[in-house]
Amino acid sequence: MPGLLHRLAAAEDGLDPLAFKQGHHPAKAKNVIFLFMTGGVSHVDTFDPKPKLTADVGKEVKVDHPEIQNRPGYERIFLKAPQWDFSAHGQCGTEVSTLFPHVATCVDDIALIRSMHTDHSNHYNATLGMHTGSFAFARPSIGSWVSYGLGTANQNLPSFITIAPKQTYAGTQVYASDFLPGAHQGTLVVPGPEPIANVTPRVAKSQQELELAALQRLNQRHLSQRTGNALSEARIKTFETAFGMQMEAPAAFDFSRESEATHKLYGLERGSTEGFAWQCLAARRLVERGVRFVELIDTGSSGNWDSHGNMLDHVKLAKNVDQPIAALLKDLKGRGLLEETLVVWTTEFGRTPFNNKADAPGREHHNWAFSSWLAGAGVKPGTVYGATDEYGMNPETDPVHVHDLHATILHLMGLDHEQLTFRHSGRDFRLTDVYGNVVDGVLA
Amino acid sequence: MRSWPLDYFYALACLSLLLAGPLVAESKKSEGTLWSLRPLARVEVPKDGHPIDSFIQANALSKEQKQTPRASRRELVRRASYGLTGLPSNPKMVEAFVADARPDPVAFRDVYEDLLESYHYGEHWGRHWLDVVRYADTAGENSDHPLPHAWRYRNWVIDAFNEDKPYDQFVRDQIAGDLLGQDLPQAQRNAAIIATGYLAISRRFGHDIDKRMYLMYEDTIDNLGKAFLGLTISCARCHDHKHDPIAMRDYYALYGVFDSTRFSFPGCEPKQQPRDLIPLVSEALVARKKAWEERQAALDAELKSADQPNKSKALKTLAGKCYKVVSQGEVPEGGSVQVTKDPVVLKVRKGEAIQLSISPLKNHGADTTIVDFSISHTSGGKMTRWSVNDHFDEFLTNHPVQAAEGAAWCFLDIGSPDPRVLNRRDVAVSGHEELNAWTAHDGGLPSVLINDSNQPVNVWHTLPPRTFFCHPSQRGAVAIAWLSPVDGTVTVDLSLSDGHPGGPDGVEWLLEHFAETSVARAYRELCEVSVPRAELVAEIAAHAAKSKELMIPVAYAVTEGEPKQARVHLRGNHEEIGEEVPRQFLAMLGGGKLGDSASSGRRELAERMASANNPLTARVMVNRLWAWHFGRGLVATPNDFGNHGAQPSHPELLDYLAGYLIEHGWSVKALQRHLLSSATYQQAARDDIRPDTFAAFARRRLTAEELRDTLLVASGELDRTPGVAHPFPPEESWSFTQHGPFADEYDTKRRSVYVMRKRNRASRFFALFNGADPNASTAQREATTVPTQALYFMNDPFFHNCAAKFAKRLRKSGTTAEDRLEIACRELFARPARPEDLADFREFANELESIVERDAKSKDAEIWNAYARVLLASNELLHLD
Repeated sequence: MPGLLHRLAAAEDGLDPLAFKQGHHPAKAKNVIFLFMTGGVSHVDTFDPKPKLTADVGKEVKVDHPEIQNRPGYERIFLKAPQWDFSAHGQCGTEVSTLFPHVATCVDDIALIRSMHTDHSNHYNATLGMHTGSFAFARPSIGSWVSYGLGTANQNLPSFITIAPKQTYAGTQVYASDFLPGAHQGTLVVPGPEPIANVTPRVAKSQQELELAALQRLNQRHLSQRTGNALSEARIKTFETAFGMQMEAPAAFDFSRESEATHKLYGLERGSTEGFAWQCLAARRLVERGVRFVELIDTGSSGNWDSHGNMLDHVKLAKNVDQPIAALLKDLKGRGLLEETLVVWTTEFGRTPFNNKADAPGREHHNWAFSSWLAGAGVKPGTVYGATDEYGMNPETDPVHVHDLHATILHLMGLDHEQLTFRHSGRDFRLTDVYGNVVDGVLA
Repeated sequence: MRSWPLDYFYALACLSLLLAGPLVAESKKSEGTLWSLRPLARVEVPKDGHPIDSFIQANALSKEQKQTPRASRRELVRRASYGLTGLPSNPKMVEAFVADARPDPVAFRDVYEDLLESYHYGEHWGRHWLDVVRYADTAGENSDHPLPHAWRYRNWVIDAFNEDKPYDQFVRDQIAGDLLGQDLPQAQRNAAIIATGYLAISRRFGHDIDKRMYLMYEDTIDNLGKAFLGLTISCARCHDHKHDPIAMRDYYALYGVFDSTRFSFPGCEPKQQPRDLIPLVSEALVARKKAWEERQAALDAELKSADQPNKSKALKTLAGKCYKVVSQGEVPEGGSVQVTKDPVVLKVRKGEAIQLSISPLKNHGADTTIVDFSISHTSGGKMTRWSVNDHFDEFLTNHPVQAAEGAAWCFLDIGSPDPRVLNRRDVAVSGHEELNAWTAHDGGLPSVLINDSNQPVNVWHTLPPRTFFCHPSQRGAVAIAWLSPVDGTVTVDLSLSDGHPGGPDGVEWLLEHFAETSVARAYRELCEVSVPRAELVAEIAAHAAKSKELMIPVAYAVTEGEPKQARVHLRGNHEEIGEEVPRQFLAMLGGGKLGDSASSGRRELAERMASANNPLTARVMVNRLWAWHFGRGLVATPNDFGNHGAQPSHPELLDYLAGYLIEHGWSVKALQRHLLSSATYQQAARDDIRPDTFAAFARRRLTAEELRDTLLVASGELDRTPGVAHPFPPEESWSFTQHGPFADEYDTKRRSVYVMRKRNRASRFFALFNGADPNASTAQREATTVPTQALYFMNDPFFHNCAAKFAKRLRKSGTTAEDRLEIACRELFARPARPEDLADFREFANELESIVERDAKSKDAEIWNAYARVLLASNELLHLD
């Protein structure tokens, strides 16, 4: 970079919180792409086939469920049939419903967990829990923990990026670093013309270079006039990095050199900067560039998968994500990136196998059971782990709690969830609090 | 499978920190081991020099490390200005100090005395305290409701620092000001009530706050412990504290105090409206307000009683027997219909009625419909014509509205089970004098209304001039009846059109003829008993006018609730209730009963929290003051004086300062004067020495607030007036949900302490520059340095805008580059320009000139805009020596 002369190695004296770090054990995955579906995806309509639910439709059931306690009109509840057909796919024969025809073509790369469960049936709490392991209080996001544990490979881009068109439940808390150093907070990317705030130069590049050169002259003089001034050294370096980011970030989000075939694969119109297809292709380009943790959030806190009123709303939400997700998996695989990238697909909770009428058009929140899946680095391909009971009410074998999912993600990244701690407010905090078991059954 | 309450998991989390031991036990006998509980030591003050310097130098840590020489006067004044007011130093003050011939310490004293007297001092130090108490302008529950009255507490904190309120009183007021201030004059009493906003701003949780109060109490107790005592009491919610002598009983003993307190309620998704806000007036005004409300209720009741069931039923029965449908149909959304395109001629008798009714289509209800409805009759060659448009000037006089030849118009709500006369006069609808309406007694829909002016009125839609409208309700129809004074044939003319295109879904109309000569009498009798007497109407209006003078300001604060003892929540699970615990103070601090059957115990709690005998009260505060001045506490964990926190680096100095604070009447400013007068404070800065030796001043970055305020000062646009309430939407309009939480942002040119801060949606700027966490106590700001901050200085619109305004000021104030640089350096860096500054500038200007193609004047502007950015982004600006 002309004009910016002094490359200072601030990282070496421990001042750079994002410096590349070794994990606790050899990592299977270098990067994570975390796909979060906002609002609660119905497991029994997507990834967890329940023929018995169809057979017994209308049967009254008695359960002590958090969503029906003291709720007028919910004194009696009845089984509601799934609205989409399932069929077996791939070599492995994993059953997926017609809501996800494209993802269904990728099942041989996927480890599907059908026995997920979580602590809370409220969006806010369950969403916070899925991101931070805490269901009430603000805590660091999983992306922040990974960044804290491992640093990042590319100093020209943030270590943790969240791409979200709108804010999900619990707002900025889902990608906040909370008590971890601020460098680990998720950088928000909003699909659109300026994805990262302030990354577009407001003056001509040639002029900005002159300004930065003048700034570095001032800063160097300031530095030379003072003894011991690590703070200033570190800050001088950030301008060089930021200058790089101005180039690298727009480049990461500039898809003009992506082929027609790639655009077609993702179902992305050339030039469009919207939709989950854009988010998925951006995610691939970011992990290619070494971003440690990329989260994609599909929608905001309204107009999402929360289909109380009508399950048919799932159709357009699935359509928004299905092809792009499958494209992402295929694209990563085709480029050899799936071997070093862990892809996680999840939601905050499932939806009830019942409602107060068998023909009620919608389903309620269901934290007792839902489905998530993993794919890529270190993941056992083409497998199904755990199962729910005949109605999809509760996990029956191998239940996996959110903390277990978190422990497994960290494990694949080379981090031991019990050793990744931060001292705050008089105690050592962990992403998994005091819980969590690595789910060996999904590991390759 | 079970659905565990989330608290159960939390409880297990806490529990697992325990290695062994009973869940509920008396405090562990480890008081002797916790240094911070020892009584304040009577420290022997060194005879020579400034006591603080002597303590610092005598410390073993400092033996190896020589003190750094004095900072220059320029460094010192800039340091003190930011340190005390959070604002850049005033160039005049700098030059006066530099020119002062007196010795450094004497001259410097005048500098900090001036700064301590500035109003901006309270804003800066208030912000420090607001960090500790995790102040925010929203509640933090799932829909993040705004707190429109919390600002009074924010300003109270600022005022308290400015007035140098004794720290012990500062503590007591925040816990129990409402109780302790009862006998004070009104203004002081109100201030003491506002102080308890400290408790009220506790974070709220969940969907229905009322069901998650145990989580709020945890937040209250957590903050109370950390802020005033440096103790992590909330660790004892689920089990006895693992490291400190705090038993689970201690936690629930305090829990009982807050459970006996009534907190202002902010609103939440199922209960949108706030409640239990505390009125800030004398009891006399409250009594007057109460009397006003009682009278209002009586007037409402009188008006309501006017719905006469008997007369109403009579009309309904009669009309039901004699109705003939003349015509019916629909007016589509945005459409208009000429109902009587083909003439409608009816034969009527005197005393019969013709009624038009308008109902909503679908279920959306209310839609403004323009009604042009007239009836004409020719008798003996003379034609009489009655129209709803005849009465713009006496519309609200009588009901029924009297018309020519003894005819009348009558307006009814027929969506109710029985017809109701629209008996309430709504003068100046939505504040528009031209709009007058007849509405139901409760003021709601349906209604008929007119625009009586010659001009259109912009209200929910542009309503045309001199027009009659009706407005059905969601429930059903509004009716307009014409009472016939004639026998013979009449011709009906009727046109309807949607007066609010783009509103809901159109309307349906029905035209009926009630062919029975007693119908008109039934209408009139119903009107007679329904429409209130003129005196009552006048009284209602006069009464309403009085409400303005009774507007009572309110505080978001606390008051006494129903006194009760808490019961232990086994393993922290609020659904597993254990034994009752009497309200009492922490056993390790001597215990003591709090409250009784008639009081919450906050009064006693306040006394014990703010006592000279409580070794933590003064120790914790002097450590905070030290940390905020020196960048690091004598105890490096200002919120944790427990066994897991840091040990004091200079225990004697800490106790000396605690004693000093108490002996000086708990005056925060007195202690600050003592700190600022030390050579330790006045050392030059460097950051390559062991920070706990305090052998140099710790260079620091400006905080987020200092940076923003500095940019506003440079732009010349900082509004230095104190902040007031935020422009939140009115409470009546609230409908925040977890799907659509409160998410506004409000721009202001005031100081950053007055910027509205939300709990669930962090401001991008404050998050970027390590602002305080509005969800948890922040003892000290971090200063992480990341490239996204550099992007802010390169490309942020606010930064560019401030720089452009700064450049404009420089160009206006000085004609030469020398002059302009001189001003810039003095304002930003508290020093004159040096030759190298000019050389740097010239080098830059020459380079830029060669690539910018503009005329001379705009070239000059471009160069200075650019150089203003360089100066404002420099380390010399952002870092404080």
